[in-house]
Amino acid sequence: MEEGLRILPQILISGLVIGFLYAVVALGYTMVYGVLEFINFAHSEIFMFGAFIGFEVLMFLQKTSLLTTLPMVISLILTMLAAMIFSGALGWTVERLAYRPLRGAPRLVPLISAIGVSFFLQDAARIIWEALRGNWQLAVPPLYTGVLTMGPWQVAGAPLQLQVPYGAIVIMVSGLIMMFSLIWFVNKTKVGKAMRAVAQDRSTAALMGVNVDRIISTTFVIGGALGGAAGSLFAIRYTSITPYIGFILGVKAFTAAVFGGIGNLAGAVIGGLLLGIFEALGTAYLGPLTHGALKGPEYKDIFAFLILILVLVFKPAGLLGRTVGEKV
Amino acid sequence: MALLELENVQTSYGAIRALKGISLTVEQGEIVTLIGSNGAGKSTTLKTISGLLRPSAGEIRLGGQRIDQLPPHRVTELGIGHVPEGRRIFPRLTVAENLEMGAYTLSEKNAVADGIERSFKLFPRLRERAKQLGGTLSGGEQQMLAMARTLMMKPKILMMDEPSMGLAPILVEQIFEIIAQLNQTGVTILLVEQNALKALDVAHRGYVIQTGEIALDGPAAALRADPSVRLAYLGEI
Amino acid sequence: MNAIKKGLKSALSWPAHRFAQLLTAERTALVTALLVTVLASAYQVAAPASGLAILCTLGAALALSYAGIKPWLRVVLMTFLLLGVLPYAGTLNPGVSSLMIQMFIYIALALGLNLVVGFAGLLDLGYIAFFAGGAYVYSIFASSQAAKFLPWFAANAPQGLGGWWFWAALPLALLVAAFMGIALGLPVMRMRGDYLAIVTLGFGEVIQVIARNLDTPINITGGAPGIAPIQAPTLFGMDMGQPTSLYYIGLVFVVLTAIAMYRIEHSRVGRALAAMREDDIAARAMGVPLVKMKLLAFATGASFSGGMGMLFAVKQHFINPDTFGFMESIGILAMIILGGLGSIRGVIVGAAAVTLLRFQFLPDLSALSANWGLPSAIDLTKYQPLIFGLILIVMMIYRQDGLIPATRRKENIAALEGPLPVPAGGTGTSVAK
Ligand SMILES: Nc1ncnc2c1ncn2[C@@H]1O[C@H](COP(=O)(O)OP(=O)(O)OP(=O)(O)O)[C@@H](O)[C@H]1O
Ligand SMILES: [Mg+2]
Repeated sequence: MEEGLRILPQILISGLVIGFLYAVVALGYTMVYGVLEFINFAHSEIFMFGAFIGFEVLMFLQKTSLLTTLPMVISLILTMLAAMIFSGALGWTVERLAYRPLRGAPRLVPLISAIGVSFFLQDAARIIWEALRGNWQLAVPPLYTGVLTMGPWQVAGAPLQLQVPYGAIVIMVSGLIMMFSLIWFVNKTKVGKAMRAVAQDRSTAALMGVNVDRIISTTFVIGGALGGAAGSLFAIRYTSITPYIGFILGVKAFTAAVFGGIGNLAGAVIGGLLLGIFEALGTAYLGPLTHGALKGPEYKDIFAFLILILVLVFKPAGLLGRTVGEKV
Repeated sequence: MALLELENVQTSYGAIRALKGISLTVEQGEIVTLIGSNGAGKSTTLKTISGLLRPSAGEIRLGGQRIDQLPPHRVTELGIGHVPEGRRIFPRLTVAENLEMGAYTLSEKNAVADGIERSFKLFPRLRERAKQLGGTLSGGEQQMLAMARTLMMKPKILMMDEPSMGLAPILVEQIFEIIAQLNQTGVTILLVEQNALKALDVAHRGYVIQTGEIALDGPAAALRADPSVRLAYLGEI
Repeated sequence: MNAIKKGLKSALSWPAHRFAQLLTAERTALVTALLVTVLASAYQVAAPASGLAILCTLGAALALSYAGIKPWLRVVLMTFLLLGVLPYAGTLNPGVSSLMIQMFIYIALALGLNLVVGFAGLLDLGYIAFFAGGAYVYSIFASSQAAKFLPWFAANAPQGLGGWWFWAALPLALLVAAFMGIALGLPVMRMRGDYLAIVTLGFGEVIQVIARNLDTPINITGGAPGIAPIQAPTLFGMDMGQPTSLYYIGLVFVVLTAIAMYRIEHSRVGRALAAMREDDIAARAMGVPLVKMKLLAFATGASFSGGMGMLFAVKQHFINPDTFGFMESIGILAMIILGGLGSIRGVIVGAAAVTLLRFQFLPDLSALSANWGLPSAIDLTKYQPLIFGLILIVMMIYRQDGLIPATRRKENIAALEGPLPVPAGGTGTSVAK
């Protein structure tokens, strides 16, 4: 028990870090759902491509040995920027080719198309990087690999030390910046307001002179860029990527969006952070609680699904949401 | 040349032919009313003009320019303001944000601030509610907001779909007063109304639409006196 | 780009009934039917391992199903192809039988999923979980696995229960899968279609995770390595585990499934589901107990999946959690989307086509490309996810009703879920059409 409590701060930190990733990816799901009432199933693959683009940039920086000469922040910004641009463009393209022709079709039609896009992109990444690098499981060049050690403090008569990887700090800081920028953008700018108007009443927004198609495209670009940024951060922090990193993380991020109340930006953030923390707690304590009978890490992915089902059954509107069926 | 012209416009919802060839004109500075019973095609006519629906045949011209193949945001940019049936306030934007949306097409720096000031002068009630969410307004306040919102874009022609629907008699009076007042300041108006009596009182000319066709048209006073109109739409014998 | 688009569109919009009409004129039909049967049989026997020959034989069977000949003759010719030619080709080359068993499994799975997605309008993305359920129920007791956690088995049946167990396990597998279907169905049935899809996906993942990790604290599933070897069924003392004999079991399963589907479609439940798809509210008003009907379809579909899981375990001789991934669920979805949601014939054709592609043509092509010394990145057998994805996208954009649309209702997929909700008082979705 004592020992369990002592590792708690460390667990909370790692949960918070993955939670920030969930949150940033969840923003992409929730924006698109808010505007189109549609689960952009391919968003997880847009995230994954962000990781691979980030990887390529870091490889380039490493090859030109800029990685060691440039300040780390510059490398970080370059990596994230490239990933955001690529993933934003990918989001735009996917909407144009696979979703827009299905606008107005029954709800499940674009969803099936989106599942198709997801599989297509996943395999495309595998093919591309297998051809490019001979392997689809890639080790990411190191950036922000150090660890910040805090403490030790004397707690309850024993020293307590906290270890926070720099990569984790990078995720939290850039996550916060992106979240607040997005919330500011959607609430304060003209395009952001148009986005909310389109989400609430598409044809009336058109009557106000809003080019609905362009706003929808913008939504996909922004959502995609956020996904790409999250992907590159994932690559930096977890240093190993495959084309399959998006799938489970995507479902979890979607869970986070539903948890917080789909269509609600703040909800996505809160949902992501809570989910990350729950998952970390479950992973760490399931083993000890069952006296080793059940292995926590192995059942890690189940927690998110349990939360998803519980939320949908007992509080489908989510923590901050309105009743299901209403939009943003 | 008329400001707005419809020539033999036909519109369908799938297999349902809602408009079977509508022709009408609205001159600069006029109030024209379009009356008809439920399901006659009044809203469909307005939606077709504003580009929400695309006609299968016929032409729509604004100041001589074809607009019938344009998407709604382009039609709005060209100067047609459409206050839709049922107000359609953005429920989770504030009153001020709703008004801002009305000025979406305007690029001048002060367009929003000036427009909001004008709106508040016209509808003082809205000033108190500026920060409130649109969805929390009363029906009458929503109607005011809907009109103010569309007026923000300074339309060449203002189309209103049943502005008096569901309002208390005193508010109905007020709305029609404002319509007349707006017209006096030079706004051209195409008014769709169930309340044919009031509409014909305020309008210069009128059209009677019946199952997707224009059945009758003429000066408002003449329609007001027409026995068939009196029987069918005014409830008078 | 545009030319390609157009070409695709016209290629995908051929009317299936045109082909049918060709064969309906009485006398030509008879001659054609016989000719097609004979030619296909000859080709199949001459080149048993050729994918093209199997394609021709199955094409002949499809043509017969359309042919305007006497029903008894149709049955005779089809029987000849399915019970004569193909099994014979299987004795010449066991690969044919293996492929056909695989195809039977997928056809039955696709028919079962079609009941859920096509008939009931519920997008189930975790369909493979029920398949896994059936496979494990059989395999645990048809191998040394049961002995690892049940003392009785360790003492009395260390290698499993023997060939009879298959037949006893069959109803059990159906029941277990149906029970899983109800357990999942109860909470999700009232959810909106897209949420239901994600939750069923999650369910599929959960089942896979459980299968992978239930080797501790007691070893029930065999963990990540799975269970092997799995005993074959016996029938009247005969070993049915060889592809050539398993072929018949598979065929019987498929025929029974297809008949069941046909009966369901034309039953009260089927008509209620159809009514519900056409008009949810009207159906409810007419007294159709929607949730109950959907749940029934969901559980029935699941039980078909469970039954097929058993056959799969027998065919493979081993199972492990990796065989029951999300990709399999999507593969089956691609089959029914390709063939035509709600169309029994379409679903059979879709399943057969995708199976042929996966297990015959892609391996053939990749063997060919390896012969030419092309790099393994171009190994086409690995391209399945890409192909499934493309099938889903292209069909949704160009031919939502599938290659062989359901005949009863044209707007089949359009009825899956109502159109996007239209904001009160107007046509929200008609913007700039
Ligand atoms: N989205 C739609 N789909 C199918 N038919 C529609 C649709 N909208 C309107 N209609 C039909 O078109 C016809 C004209 O409808 P419209 O809304 O223009 O009538 P209206 O004159 O505005 O009636 P009201 O006074 O009740 O508002 C009606 O028969 C209506 O049923
Ligand atoms: Mg109307």
